[in-house]
Amino acid sequence: MTEVTLDGVNKLFGSVTAVKDFNLSIDDSEFVVFVGPSGCGKSTTLRMLAGLEDVSSGSILIDGQIVNNVHPKDRDIAMVFQNYALYPHMNVFDNISFGLRAKKLPRNEIETRTYEAAEILGLNELLKRRPGELSGGQKQRVAMGRAIVRKPKVFLFDEPLSNLDAKLRHKMRAEMKLLHQRVQTTTVYVTHDQVEAMTLADRIVIMNEGQIEQVGSPAEVYKKPSSQFVASFIGSPAMNFATGVISQTNQGNSLVTENGEDITLVDCDITDARKIQLGFRPEHMLLSEKTKSSKGHVCVNARIKVVEPMGHETVLTCNAAFGEIVGKCEGDKQFQVGEDIHFQIRSDHLHYFDFTTGLRI
Amino acid sequence: MTNFWSKLSIKQKLAITAWFFLAVPLVFYVTIRFYPTFEAFYVSTLKWNLLGVKKAIGLKNYVKIFADEDFWLVLWNTTKYALVGVPISMIIAFVIAYWLNEIKFGHNLIRAMYFIPFLTTAVAMAWVWRWFYQPLPIGYFNILLSWIGIPQQPFLKSVTQGLYSIMAPAVWAGLGFQIVIFIAGIRAIPRSYFEAAEIDGAGRWQILREITLPAMKPTIIFLTVISTIGFLRIFDQVYTMTADSAGGPLNSTKPLVLMIYEFAFDEFKIGRASALTVILFLILLMVSLMQLWLMRKHK
Repeated sequence: MTEVTLDGVNKLFGSVTAVKDFNLSIDDSEFVVFVGPSGCGKSTTLRMLAGLEDVSSGSILIDGQIVNNVHPKDRDIAMVFQNYALYPHMNVFDNISFGLRAKKLPRNEIETRTYEAAEILGLNELLKRRPGELSGGQKQRVAMGRAIVRKPKVFLFDEPLSNLDAKLRHKMRAEMKLLHQRVQTTTVYVTHDQVEAMTLADRIVIMNEGQIEQVGSPAEVYKKPSSQFVASFIGSPAMNFATGVISQTNQGNSLVTENGEDITLVDCDITDARKIQLGFRPEHMLLSEKTKSSKGHVCVNARIKVVEPMGHETVLTCNAAFGEIVGKCEGDKQFQVGEDIHFQIRSDHLHYFDFTTGLRI
Repeated sequence: MTNFWSKLSIKQKLAITAWFFLAVPLVFYVTIRFYPTFEAFYVSTLKWNLLGVKKAIGLKNYVKIFADEDFWLVLWNTTKYALVGVPISMIIAFVIAYWLNEIKFGHNLIRAMYFIPFLTTAVAMAWVWRWFYQPLPIGYFNILLSWIGIPQQPFLKSVTQGLYSIMAPAVWAGLGFQIVIFIAGIRAIPRSYFEAAEIDGAGRWQILREITLPAMKPTIIFLTVISTIGFLRIFDQVYTMTADSAGGPLNSTKPLVLMIYEFAFDEFKIGRASALTVILFLILLMVSLMQLWLMRKHK
C-alpha cells in the first residue's frame, strides 16, 4: 500500500520557475502519467520524487512520510531512465541484481529474485550478456527488470520508450501495461507522447509551463479538456480551433470569426459578444452535402488543400474561411485537392474555450 | 594539371590535400627523430668515441652492459621509480580528482593550482625541493620534523631515502596532468549511471567500486602507461638534485637515462650508450604494447 502526495511543490532553478504549485495525490497501485511538451517540468517533478533534485518549497510524501530530505536510496523507489542507464561493464544478471547487492541480501535470495524478474520479462536467455550485445527492446526490459527486482514502493519512469522505434514502442507499451497489471506497484510515468499517456494511464496529469493544466482519466481529458492547451495537446491529429465572437440572434447563437465568417451554433448559451475559441476534433467531423448548420449539428465549409490517404482512413487538411482545419474521413472515399467540402459536427462534440484565459466554458 | 586534378575522385583529392599538409612535419620527424632512432641500433654495434674511427664489434656492447653490476643496479632503480611512483601518483591523483569533482566552489582555481607544477620546468622545481631537503636550519622538511620531535633525516644524502626523495617532486610534478585526465574521465561517465545507482540504494563505496572505477578503466590504463613511461625515463630530477649530478649517493638514485648520458657525454662511449638506449627503447616498447593489448581486451 503506497500513496504518493505532492503538496504545493515548487522548483526553482535560479530565478527560473520549473515547477509551480504542484498538488497531486497518487493512490495505491495507481498508474499516473505526467505528460506535456518539453520543458513543462514533468521530468523535474519526477526527479524531485526520486530525490535527484531538491524541492524548493512544498513537500513530497510517500506513505504519509515527508521525504523532502530523504536520500534517494532510502526512499524505496525504482526508476527507469530514458537512456536505460545500464552499466556497460556488467552483464544482465549483475545489472538486474545491482540494487539487491546494494541491500546486501543473502546470495541465494539475490539469485532467486533476479531469476524471477528475468522470468517475468523473458530475459532468462540473456543473463550472461552485456548491455552492448542487446537490442533496444532488450535493454529496455533489463532496465525494467532492475526496477521490479527490488519490489519498491513506487516505480518512476522517465520517458522510457522514447529511444525505441515506433513498432517496438507499441510492443513495449503493451508489455508495460501487462507488467503493471501483474505487479500492481504505484507508478509515475513521464512522457511527451500523448498516445503513451492515453493508453497507459489510470490518470493523466497534463502539464504546461511548470503547472498542472488538468488531472483526469484518459476519457475525461479527451472528452472534457479543461483548457484550450489540453484540448490541443490530447488527440491526434490535434483539435481544430476557430476564433471568434459570439453573436446572439433570433435564431440562436452564432460565432463570427475574425474575417467575418458566420458559423451558426446549436445548443449554445454563451453570452453575447464574448470572444471564444471553438474547438472540434478531426474524428468528429462528418462529411455532408449540407452547407448550413442543421438540427443538433454545426456546419463548417472548407476547401481541400492536402489529401493524406492512410488506408483505413484519409486525413484531409483543408482551408476554412477562419483558418486551416484537419478532418478525418473513411478510407474508401476519393478526394480531389481544391474540392469544396462540408463538414457537420454534432453539437455535443463542440468545445468552447474563453479566448483570454483559454479555460473551458 | 587541371585535367589531372579534375579526374580525381573526392576521396583522392581529400587524401592529396591531407598529405600536402602532413608533408612538412613528416619530413621533420623522419630526419630528426626516426633516422637517428634507427641509427642508434647501428651505432650500438660500434666502438666509437664520437670523433675517432668507428669499429664494428657486433653485440659486445650489450654483453658488456649485461656483465656490468652497475647496470643491474640502475635497472632496479629505474624499476623502483616506476613501480612505486606510478601507483602512488595515480592513487593521490584519483583521490584528489574524485573529491575535486564533487565541489563547485573554487573548482577551477584548485585545479589550476594542481596543474601549475606540470607547467614548471623540472630543473627550477628540483632546486626548490633540494632546498626543502636541507638539514636544519634551512630545510623545511627537517624543520617540520624537529617541531614534532622526529630526528633529522638525511633525505638526498641517504642510499635508502635518496631515491624516494627524488621521486616525490616527480610525483608532485605529474599530479596536475593526472588529475585533469581523471576528472575528464569521471565526467565522461553518464550522470544517469550514478543517479540510477543512488536510487538503487548503492552507497558511495559500492558506486566507486562497481561503477566509477570500471567505467574509468580506459583512463586508468592510459594514465598508467603514460606515467610508467614517464618514470622509466626519469632524468631531470636526478640530474639536478644529486651531488655532481651523479645519481648518488653510491649510484643509489641513478636511472637508466642518466647512465646513458654518462656513457655518452662523460665517457664518450657512444656505442655503449646507444646499446643502452636500445635496451630502454625495448622496455618502453613492451609497456606500450601491453597498453594496446589491455585496451583491446577491454573492448
